Amino acid sequence: MPRSLRQAATNLAGLMDQLDTVLARAPEQIASASDLDALAAVETELVGRKSVVAQVRRSLGTLAAEERPRVGAAVQAAAGRLEVLLAERRSVLEREAEDRLLEDDRVDVTLAHLELGQGTRHLLTSTLEEVADIFVSIGYQVASGPEVETAYYNFDALNTPATHPARAESDTMYVDFGDPRDEMLLRTHTSPMQARYMEQHQPPVYVVVPGRTFRADTLDPTHSPVFHQIEGLAVDTSITFTDLKGTLHYFAQQFFGKDQQIKLIPHFFPFTEPSAEMHVSCFACDGSGCRVCSNSGWIELMGCGMVDPNVFEAVGYDPAEVSGFAFGVGAERLAMVRHGIRHIRHFYENDLRVLGQFV
Amino acid sequence: MKVSLSWLSEYIDLPTTDPADLADALAGLGHEVEGYEVLEPAFRGVVVGKVLDIQPHPDADKIRVCTVTTGGEPEQIICGAWNFSEGAVVPVAVPGAVLGKDFEITRRDIRGVTSNGMICSSVELGLGDDADGIMVLDPDTPIGDDFAKHVALPDVVFDLSITPNRPDAMSMIGVARDLAALYGVNVRWPDVVVHPIDEQLTVDVSIEDPVGCRRFVAREVRAVELGDSPQWMQQRLRRAGVRAINNIVDISNYVMLELGQPTHTFDFERVGGGAIVVRRAKAGERLTTLDGITRELTEDDLVVADAAVASSLAGTMGGEDSEVSPTTHHVLVEAASWDPPTVLHMSRRHNLRSEASARFERGVDPNLPLLAADRVTQLIAELANGQPLSGVADVYPTTEQPHPISLPIAEVERILGIPLGADEVAGLLRRLGMEVSGDDPIEVQVPTNRPDLTRPIDLVEEVARLHGYDAFPETLPAGPGGGLTTEQRRQRRLRSVVEGAGFSEALTFSFHGTTELGMLGVGPDDIRSRAIEVKNPLREEESLLRTTLLPGLLKATRFNTSHGRRDVALYEFGKVFYDEEAPELTVVPEQPDHLGFVAVGALQGRPVDVYTATAVWRLVARQMGLPAADVASAHVPFLHPGRGADVLMDGTVIGFVGELHPAAARAYGLTGRVAVGEVAVAPIVRQPGLWELTEPSLFPPVQFDLSFEVPDTIPGGAILAAGRRAGGELVERIELFDEFSGGSLPEGVRAVGFRYTLRAPDRTLTNEEMGPVRASIIEAARQAGATLRGAN
Repeated sequence: MPRSLRQAATNLAGLMDQLDTVLARAPEQIASASDLDALAAVETELVGRKSVVAQVRRSLGTLAAEERPRVGAAVQAAAGRLEVLLAERRSVLEREAEDRLLEDDRVDVTLAHLELGQGTRHLLTSTLEEVADIFVSIGYQVASGPEVETAYYNFDALNTPATHPARAESDTMYVDFGDPRDEMLLRTHTSPMQARYMEQHQPPVYVVVPGRTFRADTLDPTHSPVFHQIEGLAVDTSITFTDLKGTLHYFAQQFFGKDQQIKLIPHFFPFTEPSAEMHVSCFACDGSGCRVCSNSGWIELMGCGMVDPNVFEAVGYDPAEVSGFAFGVGAERLAMVRHGIRHIRHFYENDLRVLGQFV
Repeated sequence: MKVSLSWLSEYIDLPTTDPADLADALAGLGHEVEGYEVLEPAFRGVVVGKVLDIQPHPDADKIRVCTVTTGGEPEQIICGAWNFSEGAVVPVAVPGAVLGKDFEITRRDIRGVTSNGMICSSVELGLGDDADGIMVLDPDTPIGDDFAKHVALPDVVFDLSITPNRPDAMSMIGVARDLAALYGVNVRWPDVVVHPIDEQLTVDVSIEDPVGCRRFVAREVRAVELGDSPQWMQQRLRRAGVRAINNIVDISNYVMLELGQPTHTFDFERVGGGAIVVRRAKAGERLTTLDGITRELTEDDLVVADAAVASSLAGTMGGEDSEVSPTTHHVLVEAASWDPPTVLHMSRRHNLRSEASARFERGVDPNLPLLAADRVTQLIAELANGQPLSGVADVYPTTEQPHPISLPIAEVERILGIPLGADEVAGLLRRLGMEVSGDDPIEVQVPTNRPDLTRPIDLVEEVARLHGYDAFPETLPAGPGGGLTTEQRRQRRLRSVVEGAGFSEALTFSFHGTTELGMLGVGPDDIRSRAIEVKNPLREEESLLRTTLLPGLLKATRFNTSHGRRDVALYEFGKVFYDEEAPELTVVPEQPDHLGFVAVGALQGRPVDVYTATAVWRLVARQMGLPAADVASAHVPFLHPGRGADVLMDGTVIGFVGELHPAAARAYGLTGRVAVGEVAVAPIVRQPGLWELTEPSLFPPVQFDLSFEVPDTIPGGAILAAGRRAGGELVERIELFDEFSGGSLPEGVRAVGFRYTLRAPDRTLTNEEMGPVRASIIEAARQAGATLRGAN
């Protein structure tokens, strides 16, 4: 064996020994790197240009052909092993580094540094919309009409005699407008739209009319000079009293809950015949009697009835051909009953502490 | 009307006396029960006694020693009342009796004399308010009886609200008649018998106005002794809510409550010798009514007069001069039938609502006066020792007959929805006292006590009422659909958009006081000064209809700030009213829907200012898909002169936004900047045109910033618009990124920086292409009055 080869063989044997030593020490060395910088230094030492692995690779060319595969495979395996160990450690250190950053980013989430403000719709508006939607669900349309109205539509067309006390200035607010022969007023109910709507449409008519109404009242727990109603009108070739009853029961169940009972009690209105007052079973006590219903088990909710033939005649419908029912309910009443509101002023003070409760 | 069960039971045998059942029955008949009160005796062990002897007390002047029997051995009872004498029948609380809750009566000594019980006053028995004397009972009350049953206790008093179409039900008989129809039993009418003396009455009645007076019945009673009415009558009146006055007045009231026919009693000597004329008053004629008020009459008033002067306001109130008084011996009884509108107008004109007018203005059966006059006469004879004269003066020009209505049976089902046969319908109507004949249609004779029944539909209602509303089944018809219109949906969306921006909906009154527009600073040329006046406001705050939503919103804002709220954002959606010719063929004034808003403090974390207001409009425009929505600096009287703008849609002003003028803010008690705005709703919610998808470009955008010096006289919006025009379809977005003044900038000039984002739909924009576009944007800005910064 020539001397040079012998020397090379001796060196190789030493390098291979060193490689074993490196491999044996590497896990501990890598694990002891406490951050990414330290790990980079370890990486240079283990697999860098001056590392044992690099030296062995460089010496491969000097080896005898029959030795090369064995040594090549050994150094490849050693390098691969070291890369895996380094990568595992790097991933751990990277995660730890990010965790530290995130920990530094910690805030007190229980304090609000930003409030996204969204306003609320007024309870009376949402009540009227809800009632309208209930009737839309059974095929009704929705209409609205003027608030400054003529005495003709507010009273005459609705079969209200000229002597009716509701026309008195103690009940109705009149306004100074236009031709003095046309008595002009702030509508006292949404019912004038019955006449207006029928004048403009041919039967079948299924319509609800939400809107603002006025009476010469002073503010007390249940009265306000301004209030809101929703009117209902159904006119067709065969509308009957049982339809009125069924429709109002459907409404009550949709609005108050499916167990809601209703009761119709005879009453009198100039523009309906027969007329009725609709009562609902008290939801506060399920009808057994409590403070909400004055111990009667029932709560008076609205006026209703079959459209009087005189109203049909006033709008040019033939009362022998069509029949219909109408009802009018106060939005304040509905909301007060459903939400336990005991003073009507809560609707008109616009206190955000109140408005914000109804979303 | 208050109806006591004890009194009612005199006219009907009810199948139940359970108060709740009866209340349901009455309500089911259409007589709303506002409440009922169960009356129990406020005493136990009180019996009817008779005073046999009265002696002075040996040691006291003010009390006496009475010997009283309650059926057994006479006992002595000390009594301090002096309103009775020997023979009086009185309530006696015997030892062991309890008055009130726990006042037990025992034998005790009163100044050395034993008192074996107590003779009671109405106050002590909880039956009235007369504490001056003891109750003196009718002399024929059986001695030893339980006293409670002689004052109809226990009892129930129903408080009924009789609807205005049912004057016939405003009486005991009327209520009994309805209940009798419901239960299928008979009404027991009072036995009315008059035993006249052998002397003919002399009163002479003439009706000059047969429209106002349909009938006038008069009787005379002589030798009348005015005094208290008997306890049973006082008790019934009291439970009906009517105060006892004296026997004559009480009898008149009693008969009105019993039969529903108001009557009036005159002192015969004071009505000019009994020549009664019913006539319209002369203009300027005066009459002092029973309430002591001297009233000037008009020719529309109807009076009962003697030959010289008016004695009473027909059906409304009697006159003071002819009132029955302690000196009256000879009474003239009037029972008449008055024209309802005449009485209504009279009671309104004189602001005189009485129990009588309440009945007459609704309509009293003209066939009732004779019975009522006889009933009053009978009771005056029985209870005031009167002597009725023979004969009745009854002027009744046109006798009212039952009126016929022809009712096709099919009409009942057409309206009510249930098949009721002719027999059933006829049966129900007969129970109400109607005569029914024929099969189909049935011919119905409606009695004269039901003026409200004139048409077939009225009979249908009666059928429904007696059949019972509870007995009807339910059916649910459905309409043809259609739901909300596009406009209605967009109205709801508009509200949601404004709510999304942080505003809560307020509802404020539609009127305000006369100073409000002045507080805002609205001048006479402003359309908002043309407010419609309310003719009959209850309060000054209701004098004018609103022409703007601001006053209500500002007051609501103030309400919140004064309750400690710093940040307030409110909006309202409602009508305003202008006093000017309506634009269309309608007589009602223009009353458009407006949307107004007010914000103070901070909104979405940013202090409120003019940009809050313009941002609301920009948001609305964007979210409602409004094309060509803009603002333009403008002078609005109540806005900050440098921070107000017109709101434009398609170049038309539809409202304003800005900061409230500090003077107006102060007037409403608001401090700091107040962002306000108000726009007409109609143009916003009008159906928008349909649009097609614009495909997003697949190519990258080009962005560059340009900073301009702009004189304060040139609106920044003009520079922005110029850039948009110059960049054409390539412009995707132009954003403001900076605005400042001062520093090195000359006075009256500010720097405004915009970031331009351009993008082409079909290619990547190159530098070569962008050069000329950028130059044309700069040139357009220059023409609009801006100078590019750093360009020289």
